[in-house]
Amino acid sequence: MTEEASQMILRDPQLFYWILFPITIVMIVTGVLRHYATVLMQSDPQRQDLKAIREQRNLLRGVNVRSNHDQIPYQSFNARKTSLVAEFKRGAYLKDPDSVGKPAANPMTDPAGMDQMMNMMKGNMAMIIPQTLIMGWINAFFSGFVIMKLPFPLTIRFKSMLQSGVATRDLDVRWVSSLSWYFLNLFGLRSVFNFILGNDNSADQMAAQMQQMNPAGGAGMFGPGQDPNKMFLAEAENLEVVGGQHDWILHGVETRVLDLY
Amino acid sequence: MSLLKQILDHLQKHPQPLKTPASSFQLARFAPAFLQSSDSHKDTQETWLVYEQLLLACLCVEDDVSASKLLHTLEQRFGSQRSRIQALKGLYDEAQATDDRELVEVLRWYEKLLQEDPTNLAIEKRRIALLTSLNRRTDAIAALVNLLSHSPTDAEAWAQLAELYRQQGLYQQSIYSLEEVILITPNAYNIFARLGETYYIASPNDPEQLADAVRHFCRAVELCEWYLRGWYGLRLVTGRILKEGQGMKGKEGLDRAKTERLYHVAGERLKTIVRRAKKGDKGWTGFDKGEVLAAEQLVKEGE
Repeated sequence: MTEEASQMILRDPQLFYWILFPITIVMIVTGVLRHYATVLMQSDPQRQDLKAIREQRNLLRGVNVRSNHDQIPYQSFNARKTSLVAEFKRGAYLKDPDSVGKPAANPMTDPAGMDQMMNMMKGNMAMIIPQTLIMGWINAFFSGFVIMKLPFPLTIRFKSMLQSGVATRDLDVRWVSSLSWYFLNLFGLRSVFNFILGNDNSADQMAAQMQQMNPAGGAGMFGPGQDPNKMFLAEAENLEVVGGQHDWILHGVETRVLDLY
Repeated sequence: MSLLKQILDHLQKHPQPLKTPASSFQLARFAPAFLQSSDSHKDTQETWLVYEQLLLACLCVEDDVSASKLLHTLEQRFGSQRSRIQALKGLYDEAQATDDRELVEVLRWYEKLLQEDPTNLAIEKRRIALLTSLNRRTDAIAALVNLLSHSPTDAEAWAQLAELYRQQGLYQQSIYSLEEVILITPNAYNIFARLGETYYIASPNDPEQLADAVRHFCRAVELCEWYLRGWYGLRLVTGRILKEGQGMKGKEGLDRAKTERLYHVAGERLKTIVRRAKKGDKGWTGFDKGEVLAAEQLVKEGE
């Protein structure tokens, strides 16, 4: 009868040697191979020409002035703000002043953007192909039986996923097939990869997923599809907004120092 | 412990190995042994870091034989087209030059490289350094301004420009450049101290400027409790304000009472630093000996 607490199935200890270890070893080896393949496949970062560098870094300077405006006296900040706002508005730092009104560069045609997209796609491919292959291999060779008991309870819905080959009604969900061992390994081998390959390895699936979810990450401010002129104008506006308030950090510093010491 | 580990250990303990001739010599003496050992053939990031540091140290102490061997190995590994390798080769050539004419040859080489690849930042900086050592200050300043027009986020370049302006006596421009450094790294207490020094040098008699100098020094010691130059500057400028007497009122907030208290606090701090540095207490040995002596002198004058 269905007793949730103590369904025991006697297992051949040879199951460990022939199923659990091989799956784990194969996953570790494919992870390491994937890491090296990714490292080798990545193309060199594109050399940017002088105008592009100039554009990027002057925009960064605008951001710096805005973030740290309290550190310098009001007159200095005001002088910088006025000149920066004027320059940004007339597009003095644009790499390509003629393309002001045009729509943003299409990643398909812009070579710099193309590179970044290709790198992202290569990374994705390197992740998906091994996963698909291993799952297919496990389904082919290791299906039709349960192999282990999970130490934590789960709901009934997981039965179809974790007991894929075994069609019973009464078997406790805690008994799972080898596919679930694959899933457990997928998440658990991260620390093993950190140990073998050092800290930021490309076999780490979680890091790749988080990078994809964070749009402000890899592509950066100057990735494909960004209009530099709009960014300059936005920065000019930000500077004007910030310019209304200025609290020089050196006001009252002598009192603070005397209080400290 | 392998030789590589020893050198890395040394570099970690002495993060500025080339600051004085003595410390450069300490590092350079590793070079001949390192070149002989098997560690020099490993192909890891650490090895090449050690190569670069040893090369710079050998150039400082004129160990040209080791330097040329190190440079040669670096060129073979990374190719002589890499900008970093080109900069190191330029350094080596400058060190080998015996007179100004040869230095000008190296300068021409730099200019040729820059024409081929205007984004070669390492060579651009080397060229500026060479112009400075050739005493062509106005050319160096012009070249720096050019560099900063396309890389205004380079704090090192702004700091160098501030130094060059200060040497030419252009104090307002020097202050502008130092402020740019602050905008990039707002917690750089040494730059605040430098600003204080520049305000003081620029106009030692103007009460407004002196008050600003005091404020900058205060910020420096607010950020770093035992910063010797900060306390020294504070003591010096407050001492001057108090000595010049009634004529100097200063901006709001910096009245005579506060100035006196700052003067005394700075004096106490300097005395503590001098005492503990001279005794060689643990944790107090990092101060530069010359600076400690100067601080001692200043405090004695005030007594």
